[in-house]
Amino acid sequence: MKAFVNENPGSIDEAVMLAQAALREGRSVSFAGGGTDLLQLVKERVPNRPGSGVPDVLVNLKRVAGIDQVTRNDQGGLTIGGLTSLTDLGANPQLRDRYAVLAEAADSVATRQIRNAGTLAGNVCQRPWCWYYRNGFDCYKAGGNQCFSIAGENQLHAIFGGGPSFIVHPSDLAPALVALDARFRVAGPGGDRSLSSNDFFVLPNEDVAHENVLGDDELLVSAVIPEPSGEIRSHFYKIMDRETWTHAVVSAAVVLEMDGEICRTARIVLGGVAPIPWRVPAAERLLADQRVTPELADSVGIASIEGARPLAKNAYKVPLTRRVVERAVLAAAARA
Amino acid sequence: MAVERMNTVGQNVPRVDALERVTGRAEYTRDLKLPGMLYARVLRSTVPHARIRRIDTSAAEALPGVRAVITHETHRIPYGSGSIAGGRQYSDPHKDITTRLRYMFNAHVRFVGEPVAAVAAVNRHVAEEALGLIEIDYEELAFVLEPEDALEEDAPRVWSDGNLALDSENLPRPIGSSTGDVDTGFAEADRVFEDRYTTAFVQDAQMEPRSALAHWEGDKLILHTPTQGVSNCRHDNARDLGLADHQVQVVCQYMGGGFGDKNGSYYFDLIAAALSKDLGVPVMVELSRKDDWLGTHGRWPTVQDYKVGVKEDGTITAIQMHALSGMGPYLRRSGNIAGMDIYACENTERVIRPVHTNRMVSGNFRAPTYPQGYFALQSMMDDVSYRMGIDPVEFALKNIVRPTAEQPFTNYALDQCIEQGAELFDWAGRWNPQPGAGEGPVKRGAGVAYMMFNARLGASSAIIRVDSDARYTLYVGVTDIGPGAKTTMSLLAAEELGVPLAQVDIVWGDSDRCPFSVGESGSRTTTMTGYAVVEAARDLNRQIAENGMPEGDDVLIASATPNPSTDGKLRMGFGAHFAEVEVDEHLGHVRVTKYVTVHESGRILNPLPANDQIRGAVLQGIGQALHEDLLYDANYGHPLTAGYYGARHLTHLDAPEIENTFIETDDGYGPYGAKSVGESGIIIAPAAVANAVFNAIGHRMKDLPITRDKILGVLT
Ligand SMILES: Cc1cc2nc3c(=O)[nH]c(=O)nc-3n(C[C@H](O)[C@H](O)[C@H](O)COP(=O)(O)OP(=O)(O)OC[C@H]3O[C@@H](n4cnc5c(N)ncnc54)[C@H](O)[C@@H]3O)c2cc1C
Ligand code: SF4
Repeated sequence: MKAFVNENPGSIDEAVMLAQAALREGRSVSFAGGGTDLLQLVKERVPNRPGSGVPDVLVNLKRVAGIDQVTRNDQGGLTIGGLTSLTDLGANPQLRDRYAVLAEAADSVATRQIRNAGTLAGNVCQRPWCWYYRNGFDCYKAGGNQCFSIAGENQLHAIFGGGPSFIVHPSDLAPALVALDARFRVAGPGGDRSLSSNDFFVLPNEDVAHENVLGDDELLVSAVIPEPSGEIRSHFYKIMDRETWTHAVVSAAVVLEMDGEICRTARIVLGGVAPIPWRVPAAERLLADQRVTPELADSVGIASIEGARPLAKNAYKVPLTRRVVERAVLAAAARA
Repeated sequence: MAVERMNTVGQNVPRVDALERVTGRAEYTRDLKLPGMLYARVLRSTVPHARIRRIDTSAAEALPGVRAVITHETHRIPYGSGSIAGGRQYSDPHKDITTRLRYMFNAHVRFVGEPVAAVAAVNRHVAEEALGLIEIDYEELAFVLEPEDALEEDAPRVWSDGNLALDSENLPRPIGSSTGDVDTGFAEADRVFEDRYTTAFVQDAQMEPRSALAHWEGDKLILHTPTQGVSNCRHDNARDLGLADHQVQVVCQYMGGGFGDKNGSYYFDLIAAALSKDLGVPVMVELSRKDDWLGTHGRWPTVQDYKVGVKEDGTITAIQMHALSGMGPYLRRSGNIAGMDIYACENTERVIRPVHTNRMVSGNFRAPTYPQGYFALQSMMDDVSYRMGIDPVEFALKNIVRPTAEQPFTNYALDQCIEQGAELFDWAGRWNPQPGAGEGPVKRGAGVAYMMFNARLGASSAIIRVDSDARYTLYVGVTDIGPGAKTTMSLLAAEELGVPLAQVDIVWGDSDRCPFSVGESGSRTTTMTGYAVVEAARDLNRQIAENGMPEGDDVLIASATPNPSTDGKLRMGFGAHFAEVEVDEHLGHVRVTKYVTVHESGRILNPLPANDQIRGAVLQGIGQALHEDLLYDANYGHPLTAGYYGARHLTHLDAPEIENTFIETDDGYGPYGAKSVGESGIIIAPAAVANAVFNAIGHRMKDLPITRDKILGVLT
C-alpha cells in the first residue's frame, strides 16, 4: 500500500478546500467514502484520478455531517445523501415502497460487508473494473493513451457506446438512479451545481479518462429523485458470474409509470453493457401506453439490442441483454 | 469386511484445536514476532520473458529504513536444486543432473511474477516502498503462452534447448503408459470416436498468503513457514543452502490451507534465510495476495485428444490419449494426466508431453493429475455412451475396472458406489434419455462420474511417551493443513491406547521435535503416519503390560517407523458423483441443484472432517468446472484475473447441498482399515457437472471452465 495523508474534514466546504490545497501542491487527491474500492487502488498502486498518479491525499468524507441520509425534499421527491451506506439504501422503507429499483440495486452490490461500508457516492463514482486498468496497465483510464482491451480480453466489455475506451460502467446504483431520472448534486470550488444524468455521466468519446464530469476538486453530494407523477412499478435485474460478490455482467433497471394496468411511460437503463448507464429509448417507446404482455416484453428485449456492436469476445452479451430486458420488464410490470 | 464399532474412532470428534483457531489465538506464520525482526518484500518481473541487463538498487538502498536489497547479482542460490523442487521422494539425483537450473533469482526471467529482487526493511511499508525504487533494465524476449504454440517450429524458446520438459535423464520424452495394443483394439471396435478436451489453469487459492520467518543460531537455520511437510521442506532448503538436514529446523504450527504444492520448499524460504544470514537478525518475508497468486502455482492446464474404440454392445476396446500439459517455465511437478485405469479396457495408450510456456508455474493442486484427466476422459465416455444409445450408468458398470486374478484389490466397491449413488440420486427419475429435450428456457440435466484413488501405505514415523500422570504425548511430523491431521493422529493414539482423547497431547509440525513424516500430500497422512501412530501405541501398550505404568520421573517411550505393504494388491478408495444442474438457456446460467456423492474410503475414523473433506473438494471441483481460470493477455503475456474476485471462486451462495454417503469397509490394511479421503472429492466433480450440463442442453461443453459466454455461444 502506498503511504497517504488522511484528511478528515467536517464540512463539504472544508473538503473542497483540502482538495484544492493538495492539488496546488501538486499532490494527487481523492475523495473517500467507504474506501472499499479506493483503498484497493491505493494498495495496488493504481492511479485513481487519471493522470495524477496514485493518491497522496485522501479526503475522507465520513465526518461530514448530514449527507448520510434519505430525506423527503420540498418538491416531494427524495434527496439521498452521497454518504448513505448501501445497506441503509437497501433497507430504506421509502425506497422499498416507491423506488424498489434503487433498493434492489443497492442490495445486489458485492457483499454485506462492502455494502455496510460502501456509500452511494463511492458506488456511483467507482472507477472501472476493466482488468487492464486494475492491473496497472497505463491505459486511457489511468491517464495513458491507448486501450488494451480492444485486442485483448474483452469478455466483459462494452457492446454499446465504446471507443476509444471500452469499459462498462461498474455501478449498480447508476442505472437505477438514471431510470428514476435522478439529478446529481455536485459541490466544488465554484459552489454547487445540479446535473441531469445526461450531463453527469460522460462517454469516452467526450472524455476518455473519466466516467463523469467531476473535476479533481469536485464531489458528489447527493442524488435527488423527483416525485413521480403517477404509480410507478420498478425492478432491478442483475446477472452475475456467481451468485454474489461481483459486478453485473449485464443488468437492467426498469421503471414503468402505470395507469392501472397500462404502462404510460417506461425508462429502461442498462448496466454492464456501456461506458455509462445506457438508456434504450427505442425499447422504452414500445411500452408507451401499452399493456405489458410477454409478447411485448419480448419485442422490447429485441429492440434493446438494436445497434449493439460487440467486440471479439463479448458477443454473448447481445442475446443476454435481450433476455435481461425482457425479464426485467415483466418483473417490473408484475409488481402490484 | 464390515467395520466393528470402536471407542474413539468413528465418533464425530471436533478438531482438537478448534477453539484456538476460531478465537484467533492460533498463531500463523505471519503473526509471529521475534526481537529485532525485519520485514521483506519481493519484487517480481513485470514482463513474461526477458534478460535482465542491469538492476539498479541504489535508490532503494538509500531509502531510510532499508537494511538490504538482494538480487541475482548478490545471491546465486539454486532453488529446488534445479527445476524440480520437492522433498526426498521427488528424485534427488535428477536435481544433480538437470540442465535447467532455477535460482532464487534468475537473470533470465520467464514469467510475469517471477522474483527478481527482495528488500529487507524495518517494516513492511518501507520494504514495499523500496521495491518501487529498484530500476530494472529488461531486454525483452519473445514469449509463448499456449502449450500447442510452444511446440511450433519457430516458437519462442522458453529454454534455449527447447520447450518440451525434460525427464529424469534430461531427455524431452513424453510421459505416459500403455497396455495391450491400441491398433488391435481399434480394429476390434465397431465404432471409433475422437475428440479434444481442454482444461484451464486453476489456482490452489488457499486463504493464507504465504510468508516465511527465518533466523539463525550460529550455523543453524530456524525457519517458520506454512508447509505441508516439515521433513521435505527441511531437506529441500538444506540442500539448496548447502547445509546438512540437521542444520535446518522447519516449524509450521498453523497454516491457512494447503491444497497441494506445499510439501516442499519455496523460494521465499531461501530469501528469508539469505537475508537473515546477511543481516544477523530474523527476517519475515511476506507475500501479498497478488504475489501469492502469481508467484506460486496452480493446476496445470491441459489439451487432451482422445480416441476411443467401442463394440456395438458398448464394450470399450481401446483408449488412446495424446495430451499436452502447460507447466509454465519451470517443471515443478510431473504434468501427468490420470484417469484411464478406471476402465477395464485392455488396449490403452497415454502419451503426455509437459510443455514449457511463459505463464506462471504449474504445480500440484489436490489430486494433481486427476480432475483434468477425469473431466476429459469421462466427458468423452459420457459422449460415447449417448452416441451408442446406452445409459451412462449402464455404460460405466459395463466398462469399469474390476479385480482380476492378475490384479487383485485389497477390496473393491466401485460398482457399489455407482449403484448406490444412482439410487440415492434417483438417476432413473432425473436423467433425460433425450439430452436437451424440453421447452426451456430453464432446463435440467443429470450427470455421473466415477473414480478411484490410491490409498497407499508406506513409511512414516511416530513416537509416544507416557509419564507417571498417565499423560500421553504423541510426536508426529504432521502439519495441520485443513483436514485435521492433529485430531486424527490423536484419536488413533487414544483408540489404540484405550484412553480418553483428553489424555493425549500432541507435538507436531516441527522437524526438530518430531520424527520424519511424509507430509500432507497424496492423502496419505492417515494411512502412513496414522499407521505409525497405531504401531507406536501398540508398542507402548506392550511396554506398559511388561513394566507397568512409569512412576515418579520415569517415562516410557515407544517409537515406530513401519513400512507396510499391500501384498501386491491395489489399495484404492472409490467414489461416484451424481450432479443435477439447471441451465437457463436465455442467460447461459448454470446452477448445481443437487449433488450426491458416494465414497468408499475404508473405515471413516472421524466422520465430521471426512464429510467436510468431500464437500470442500466437490466445491473446488465445481469451481473448476464452471468458473475458474487465469486469463492472460496474449499481446503482453500478462495475467489479468489473479485473486478471488477475478477467478470467480464459488461463494457460499453458489454452493449446493452436497449429500455424501460413505460405504464403510475394513480391508485389513492401514490404520483400522482407513483409506484416503482428502483428494477423492475433487476428482470427478468437474466431469459430473459437465456431463449434467450436456444432459440439460444437448451440447457437449469440451473446454473448462464452462462459462456463460461459451454456453450462449453454442446456443445462439
Ligand atoms: C469484491 C468487490 C465486489 C464489488 N461488487 C460490486 C457490485 O456488484 N456492484 C457495484 O456497484 N459495485 C461493486 N463493487 C464496488 C463497490 O460497490 C464499491 O466499492 C462501493 O460501493 C464504493 O463505495 P465506497 O464508499 O466504499 O467508495 P470509495 O472506495 O470510498 O470510493 C470509490 C471511488 O469514488 C470516489 N468517491 C468516493 N466518494 C466520492 C464523492 N462523494 N464524490 C466524488 N467521488 C467520490 C473515490 O475517489 C473513488 O474513486 C465491488 C467492490 C468489491 C471490492
Ligand atoms: S477498456 Fe478502458 S479501462 Fe480497459 S484497457 Fe481500454 S481504456 Fe483501459
